[in-house]
Amino acid sequence: MPSHSSASVRFSPNLTGYIPLTIFLGVLVYISLNAPNFVTMRNLELVLMQSLPVVLVCAGLAAVVMAGGDDVVSGGIDLSIPATAVLSAGVTAQMLTAGWPLALCSAAALAACLVVGAVNALLVTRMGMTPLLATLAMFVAVVGVNNVITESRRINVDHTWIVALRSQDVVGVPLGITLTAAIVTLIFFLLHLTRFGLGLQAVGGSRDAAETSGLNVSRLFAMSFVVAALTGFLCGFFLLARGAGSSPGVQDNLMLEMVLATFVGAAFSPRRVVTLWGAVLGAVLVTAISIGFKSMGVNVFWTGLIKGSLIVVVVALAAVSNRVR
Amino acid sequence: MTTTLTGSASVGNAIMRFGFLIVFLAFFVLFAAWNPVFLQGGNLSNIIEGSAVLMIVALGMTLIVATGGIDLSVGIALDFGAAFAVVAMKSYGMDWFGAMCAGLIGGSVVGIFNSVLVVGLGISPFLATLSTFFIGSSVQRIFTNGGGPISHRRMPEEFRNLALGDIYGIPTEAVVAFGLTVIYFLILERSIWGRRIHAMGMQRSAAIVAGIRVNRILITCYVVVGVTCAVGGLIAAANIRMFTPLSGFSYLLDAIAAVFIGAALHPRGRPNVPGTVLGVLFLGMVANGLNLMGLNFNTKDALQGIILVSALALAVAQQKMRRS
Repeated sequence: MPSHSSASVRFSPNLTGYIPLTIFLGVLVYISLNAPNFVTMRNLELVLMQSLPVVLVCAGLAAVVMAGGDDVVSGGIDLSIPATAVLSAGVTAQMLTAGWPLALCSAAALAACLVVGAVNALLVTRMGMTPLLATLAMFVAVVGVNNVITESRRINVDHTWIVALRSQDVVGVPLGITLTAAIVTLIFFLLHLTRFGLGLQAVGGSRDAAETSGLNVSRLFAMSFVVAALTGFLCGFFLLARGAGSSPGVQDNLMLEMVLATFVGAAFSPRRVVTLWGAVLGAVLVTAISIGFKSMGVNVFWTGLIKGSLIVVVVALAAVSNRVR
Repeated sequence: MTTTLTGSASVGNAIMRFGFLIVFLAFFVLFAAWNPVFLQGGNLSNIIEGSAVLMIVALGMTLIVATGGIDLSVGIALDFGAAFAVVAMKSYGMDWFGAMCAGLIGGSVVGIFNSVLVVGLGISPFLATLSTFFIGSSVQRIFTNGGGPISHRRMPEEFRNLALGDIYGIPTEAVVAFGLTVIYFLILERSIWGRRIHAMGMQRSAAIVAGIRVNRILITCYVVVGVTCAVGGLIAAANIRMFTPLSGFSYLLDAIAAVFIGAALHPRGRPNVPGTVLGVLFLGMVANGLNLMGLNFNTKDALQGIILVSALALAVAQQKMRRS
């Protein structure tokens, strides 16, 4: 069926392209009508602050999907980013508690995360493993290693810089939000306005065509995993800030949210491909909806049901609207 | 296999060709040397018994991966199987047979839901089964009021025997797992239906052109897998005499790993039943062996993860060697 429709579809952004986004906004309007304090500056700020770790890992995943093509099973995907983020948080927290300076802690965390990224890249491009499989296995291994490092304990962190990430305001805007916006913008420039980024997108678009035109396909694909590991590294600090320390078990939820937001984000783009902005928007909207339903007084047990239904509705409608066009 | 070795008899080549089997044996010898208990008959049958549920789930996963998809909701089907059976016995006073039927129906509900999403709405299997996972977990939480287990101490003896009994001295769960393995082998590797599934998984559009009813096969596969995983759920429930919500999730990753280890051992890289069996036994052996080493829980977990990555990498590298 996809081959049939893609021939007749003109990839011009028209109104049907934005149906999924409209659904999301509709749900948000419904929430804001029913939850008294949802549309206040304070609450919107809270939503953004909560979504920051997810935004960062989604940006990393978007880079990998762009470089590997968006077929979930055989294309590019990196499920290990949340584990990398937790590793970054764990290493930093453990070393801070031991009394090391923050600069040294983050250097060690960076090194650990780069190793994860490099191993991912090696497994996928040298060994020829499917990214889904390689990064899923790495997720387990990295979480295991992190549990050895932190001994599966919760570690409180009250370093001034980490606290500042959560509660410091710069010109009225929380520092965390400003920093994340800056990082995402930087990744946007890297992916869309540099030679490297365009090469990456060319590889994702058509591997054969990229290879014929002389791009070093496997090196570019490998680099996307390193970019992803870097976002995981940065995300670690936001996890520390959000949870006031490192706690075991954050990674599972982060992984589910990351996949949910990134692939629902694909439905926001008129061409139904994973984009950086789609992923970031997806992360923020999904967090907004979770918090929104919570403040409406909906039982927490229902959140999974709501999220699952959202995937179904948004992705199915995207498929249908593509067929109709 | 041995005939292919004649031309290139260099040692390195041989190691790559039989790499996975060599690693399998190496670990076996290592564990045996470390702790003599490992080799005792009781422990070896422990490994097999302990792998039964994973084996059943992995068989289901093999079928779905063979169709070219992936099923992230196998754990949900397992939970539903256990939940339906336990509730049928506890709240409705059903006998063991009724409870088993209820459990299998529970699994098929998950399968039907998946096939509606995948075939009916055209959602990719990864996203479809992910949403089934979200929805199924939420349903279990709502139903159990937050995830507390439902225990049923006075289970009928016949139902308990699923996990504790034996048939001619062989544990029932091992017999069930073995029986399902044989059935899956015959269907997937020795029947026309299995041919069609593989054809579909390798090239969907070609299969459609060849007149294979792709949608009908997909629907059947998802339902069959749901029911199969529910069998695993029945055994798990009989074993601990309760239904623990969200417990099926722990099998997901191991099942995927077993299937892909198996696929990598296949000459053409296809998921296949004998390969999956080998993968499951390897995972079961490593878990058991590391346990017997008496390592700290976290270290054991980390080692298991690292062994998993290395084993998969090796299996894939080996397959690449064989192809070139």
